[in-house]
Formats: sequence, C-alpha cells, structure tokens
Amino acid sequence: MPSKPPLLRVRGLRRRFGDVDVVANFDLDVRAGKAVALTGRNGSGKSTVLRCITGADRPTAGTVELDGVKVDERSPKIRRDLAVVMDDMDFFPDLSVVEHLDLFAQAHRVEDVERVVDAVLQEVGLVPQSAQLPGTLSSGQRRRLALASAFVRPRRLLVLDEPEQRLDRAGLDWLAERLSAEKAAGLGVLLASHDQTLVEAVVDNVVNLG
Amino acid sequence: MKRPAEVRELRGQIRHWRRGRAELSLAEAIGDAYIAVFAAVMLGSMGISVILNLRNASGALCTSQACTTARDVMPWLFAGVEVAVCLGVARLFGPMLVSPAIGTWLLSAPVDRSSLLLPRLAGTGTAAFVVGGALAAVVGTLAGFSAGTIAAFAISTAAVCLCTVTLTTVVQARGGPAAKIATWLVAGLVWAAVVALVLQVLPAPAPQQRFSPAWLAALVVAGVLAVGSAVRAFADLPRIHRDRLTPGGSLVPSLSGALATLDLALIYDILVSRRWLARSTVRPYRGGPKGAAALVWRDLVRLRRSPQTVVVPAAAIVVPYLGARLGIGEGLVLLIGLTGFLAGLGLCSALRVLSRTPGLMRCLPLERWEVRAATLAVPAVVLVAWGLATAPAVHEAIGGTTWGTAFWVAAALGVAALTAVTRWMTAAPPDYLKPLVSSPMGAVPTSLFGSLARGFDVLLLLCAPLLLASPANGAFISLVLSGVVLTYLLNRP
Repeated sequence: MPSKPPLLRVRGLRRRFGDVDVVANFDLDVRAGKAVALTGRNGSGKSTVLRCITGADRPTAGTVELDGVKVDERSPKIRRDLAVVMDDMDFFPDLSVVEHLDLFAQAHRVEDVERVVDAVLQEVGLVPQSAQLPGTLSSGQRRRLALASAFVRPRRLLVLDEPEQRLDRAGLDWLAERLSAEKAAGLGVLLASHDQTLVEAVVDNVVNLG
Repeated sequence: MKRPAEVRELRGQIRHWRRGRAELSLAEAIGDAYIAVFAAVMLGSMGISVILNLRNASGALCTSQACTTARDVMPWLFAGVEVAVCLGVARLFGPMLVSPAIGTWLLSAPVDRSSLLLPRLAGTGTAAFVVGGALAAVVGTLAGFSAGTIAAFAISTAAVCLCTVTLTTVVQARGGPAAKIATWLVAGLVWAAVVALVLQVLPAPAPQQRFSPAWLAALVVAGVLAVGSAVRAFADLPRIHRDRLTPGGSLVPSLSGALATLDLALIYDILVSRRWLARSTVRPYRGGPKGAAALVWRDLVRLRRSPQTVVVPAAAIVVPYLGARLGIGEGLVLLIGLTGFLAGLGLCSALRVLSRTPGLMRCLPLERWEVRAATLAVPAVVLVAWGLATAPAVHEAIGGTTWGTAFWVAAALGVAALTAVTRWMTAAPPDYLKPLVSSPMGAVPTSLFGSLARGFDVLLLLCAPLLLASPANGAFISLVLSGVVLTYLLNRP
C-alpha cells in the first residue's frame, strides 16, 4: 500500500542573494501529525527556507507544494491552511488584543468565535491585557499575541520562525505542550529553532542546516 | 563627598568633546556658507517680489462684495489657523523635549532641570515668534494692510504664537487637558468663522488698513501676555516630568528618518502609532460578521472609537463652499479633490497597516483585492457622501451645470479623492535594493522623489477630465479612470 503523500513537500529549493547561495538543493517533507525543526547557526538559512516556503520570499529555484498544490501565498486556500508566525508580524495600532484575535477568527469564519478566542487568550496568559493596544505590550506579550493569532483560526500546517524568542520558561513549557497537541490533532508543524529543549520535546525530525 | 556637577559644567564638557572633533574652524565654515547666504538673499527677494505682485493683483481683481469681505476677514482667520497649528505642533512634540541621549544621561543626573531646558524653551519660543510673525506679515501684505499695520499685525500674531508655546509648556509641566481643549476650541472658532463667511452672516470688519491706537493696544496686550507666559513657563521648567520630555525627543529622529526618505506615509504611520500608544487601552467591541465583512465592521468600530476621522472631513466640507463664495470657478474642482484627499487620509488606517505589513495580510484567508476592498468600504461611503455634499458648491461655481451634472461632478470628485487616498496608502516605500541614481543628496533610489507626488499624481489625473472636457463628459471619464486606477491599486502586489 503506497504511503500517504506529505502535507508539505519541498524539492530542490534554492535561494541566491547576489553571488551567494544561502540555500541550495534543499528537500523537505512534513507529514500530517509530525513536527520538523530546522536548526543551525545564525545565517545558515533557516528563516530564508521558511520565508520561501510561506511565500514571503521568492525562491531562485525549486518547488514548494502543500497537499500536492503549488504554494502561492496569494491563494486564499493556501492562506487558510498555512498558519505562519514570523518576525515580520505587526498589528493594528488601534485594535485591542482581543479584537485582533476576534478579527482573525471571524475572517476565517470560525464558529463560536468568542469561546475559541477566550480559550486561546487564557492559554497564552493575555486575559488581563485583552483591552490593551499592541503598542503597549511587552515584547514577550507581543510574541504571545502573534502565536495566539495562529491558534484561533483553522490550519493544517503551522510554520513558526524561532517561536521561543522572548518567551519566559512558563511560556516555553506552554508552547511545547501546545505544539504536541497540534501534532496529536493531525496538524503538521515546521519550525526553526535554537532551543534544544523545545526541539526535543516536540519535534520528530531535525534538519540541521549547518 | 564631591558636589554634583552643574549643567554649565556638563555642557562645557560636551562642547569640549565636540570641538575636539571639529574639522573646520568657524571662519572656514562661514566662508563655505556664502552660497547659502547668497541663495537665501536671492530667494527671499524673489519671494517678497511675488508677494507684492500678488497683493497688487488681488487688489485689482477682488471687487465683488463677497471677495472683499473675505479679503478683510482672511488675516484674522489666518491668525486663528496659525495659533491652532502652533498649539497642535507644540502638543505633538511637548513642546519641551530632550534627545534620548540627554534623557538617559542628564535627566537621571542630579542637575537643575530648568538650566537644561532653558535653551530649548528659548529656541522653541524664538522659532514660534519668527515663523508666526513672518507668515502673518505675508498675509497682512496680501490683505492690503499699510506698512505700519503689517508690522503691528505681524508682531502681535508672533507674540500670540510665542504665548501659545509658553502656555503649552506650562500645561506640559502641570498636566491636564487644557492644551488639547484649547486646540479644539481655537480650531472650532476658526471653522465657525469660515462658516459664517460662507453664509454671509459675518459682519464685515472695520477697515484695518491704517495703523490706529487699537493696534497699539493689541501690541501691548500681546507683548504683556507673551512676557508673562514666558516667565511662568521658565518657572515651571523644573516641574516637567521626565516621561513628558522623552516622547517628543524620540519622535524627532523618527520623523527625521521618514523625511530623509521623503516617505510621507511613514510619517503618517509614526503619528498614528504614537497617538494610540498614548491611549494604551480601549473598550473592546466583540462579535460582528464573518469573512471580509469582519474588516468592514472593524472600520465601523474605528469610527466610533476615533470620531475625529469623520469630524475632520465633515468640517472640511466648508472649504469648497468658501472656494465657491470666493469665485474661484473651475479651480474648485482641484480644491474639492485636494480637500477630500487630505481629509480622507485618517479614514484608511486599516488599509495602510495591511499594505505595509505582509505578515498581517497572510493571516487573512482572502484575496488581496478582497482585503483592500473591505478596508476601503467605509472610507468609500464617507468620501462619496462627502463629494456629493459639495454638489451645491459645484453648481454655484461652475457655470452652466444643471443640478444633475453638479451631482455627477461632485460624486466623481469624491471617488477621485478615494482613489488618491488609496494610491497614497498602498504605495511601497522607496526600495534601496534597486539601482540608485546619483544626486546632490548622494545615491538615492529612483522612486524616492516620486514618493512626494504620490496621491497628488492620481488626483491630478482624475481631475484633468473635469477641467478639460464639459462637466458631464468630464465626470464620466473621471469615473471610468477612477475605476481603472482603483482596480489596479486593489490588485497590485
């Protein structure tokens, strides 16, 4: 019996800046219910790979497919299935924390928005800050809000760029627990990380980029 | 134990470091500055010549009752606008501020804060006095005042501007909403005067062309107020909290950076962000529709949360009527478009944030055009309604237009303003990765200078048919062009 095709399939990915190949001949599979981590020193190309996969950057060569369909970040279907938390996340200066999460959930037509959003707010520990505007949050709280925005909406693959950044110990424990739950629910997880503890707790397959 | 250093000693130390790094002597710097001095003298004399010619031309052309009344009232309106702008700018920057470095190193030191801030107070007050006086002198000249009256009008306006800065400093030290209330009050009075002028219920002021004892009294009162408020402000300098001095100091480099790249939209981002940062919390509104309509609903929440975004266009409706009353004819088309464009900028903050933040756009499961169209829905309704509200002015100002045509022209101008706002909000910043061109400012990206004309270019394109063709045909062509431009802007990467 043929094995199920991977949720995310990357073949021959190459990204060249000037004369330098930051990533070359990169292949990757992420299956549903599995987590893959990209590790490596600073500048090894982890974020570049994630940016090419999510369509934030255009690869010089190679293909990226989500469930057999070429990833085009302009497609609403791809945006619906791909939940991305990268460093370029910013927020509306005039909407509160809870209004951001409500907006994302409503845009994704989530049923019972308030219940879902309240549960995620509770999980990320931002209930006391729910009426605050993002500009007044600490960097760790902004990171939690960015992560929360990925959890209030439907998704099939979660792509996270160094999600451990600016999180305290309790936040890291919560994140590991949450990502394990995502896997158990049959979702794919792809993350770039420097945190060995998080990688060991969550990840099934580690790809070291050098 | 040694005594703490005094501000004079610290400043002397900093001056010593700076002089140690100077590459030019004062004489060499002055020698190099001759071009700047020569240019200032030449451009200044050209400017004065233009103003005097305009004074003669306006005196000859302004013969109708409405125009002469407006010309008599204009200096007083302008003085009110100057005070409102002075208040607004002073509140934006503090007016007392310190650079981040001074905030870190000197404000935490046990030094006398009034000595530290006195040069800033003197500089800001002088700037308000000189700029306020110079602008008032120009307006007094255009209004046909005599030389003595121009001097009295300029000096008294300058003194009021100085008074505005120093009183805002007092409010900065003591806290409270007095400066904010005063800004809205002055702006409201100016607006009411313009409305009265448009409705022709404003009594014509007594002729002010000649110097009179009333001017002397005004000069004395303004002078006494300015000196008194300056003394009060100086006495209050030590009371200003550090947290009220540093935000202005952080704002200056941000705005300088944005100006260096000629990126006006970035200035908009900085000011919007600063405004909401000061507010810190809001009353959350939950619920609402799903899909793209969620973005529209959030814009409605924004209107409720920030009513001034609608109040400004609503108040600005008086500008086209003033233009019509002054008899500017076809120029009204440009005036309506420009006023709608500037007044509508505050309505599109969601479009701006989503255009500059790809990460946020990726969170929404919608086509790019759907997201942009949803964020334009509320501004579109407001600006088209705003345009339609100018139809009576169009009917009055442009000869030979029926009421039906006037409404078409007004609607086309509302859509033109919306399209110009969309162009301004969705434009990408200058890209320094692209090939650079050599300029006296150094190497700059090709898109840098064009960014200044952004929005205005589309406005000119969409107003041109209304100026060149008959009103009915022009409105039709302008609407078609707006549709094409909007379709492109909604779909652009």
